Amino acid sequence: MILGRIVGTVWATRKNPKLEDLKLAIVRPYFWYDPSHDVDHLIAVDQVGAQVGQDVLVCVGAPGRWVAGDYRCPIEASIMAIIDEVRIASESLSDGTPRFALRESFKPTTLQWTRGRT
Amino acid sequence: MILGRVVGSVWGGKEAASLGVSKLVLVSPVKFAPDGKPIEVAADGPDSPLTAGLKIAIDQLGAGVGEYVLIGHGSRIRDLTVGATLPTKDVLLAIVDSCYVDPALFPDAEVQP
Repeated sequence: MILGRIVGTVWATRKNPKLEDLKLAIVRPYFWYDPSHDVDHLIAVDQVGAQVGQDVLVCVGAPGRWVAGDYRCPIEASIMAIIDEVRIASESLSDGTPRFALRESFKPTTLQWTRGRT
Repeated sequence: MILGRVVGSVWGGKEAASLGVSKLVLVSPVKFAPDGKPIEVAADGPDSPLTAGLKIAIDQLGAGVGEYVLIGHGSRIRDLTVGATLPTKDVLLAIVDSCYVDPALFPDAEVQP
């Protein structure tokens, strides 16, 4: 599962019949762990009624298909949860900079840095 | 699933028998500019190294050149849409009527994979 932000929505009427009645959202991931495309977004099916601008948890792969109610839907990614809060302990910081690629200009709005054990 | 734009078609004189009469389209994945507008990744012309990002997808919906489309990638997506016998991994899933991206939520255009 990856953490991302919903940045927009997509509307389509001509589409694969198995995608009918599904809400599509444009998600920009905060971190890619396995980028399969040279793009900075992915389209996910919204299962929880998330709004544009919210931080969400996106499940990529087969489990994202199962929660759509029909595992035969051609879905690659599903939004599984709306994030209330992200806490990253300060132990994961070295010299104040994260070891992973978290950009200052694009980081979770729900992020909180914590010190010590939480 | 990613957004792309149809930039052309592909025809094969001789092709694998399982491809049959499937229509093949050339799709350029899109990125989003800081103003929220979609721009084609492979928009720099035929000599650009970015054209390596072009995808050839099976089209069962009848998309025209210039239309924005949703493409799915992977063998499972292929099995569930066009059938397991087609030798492809990119499938056109939807033709996009419109898409909206909030520029304020998309602060910079560069990718940090």
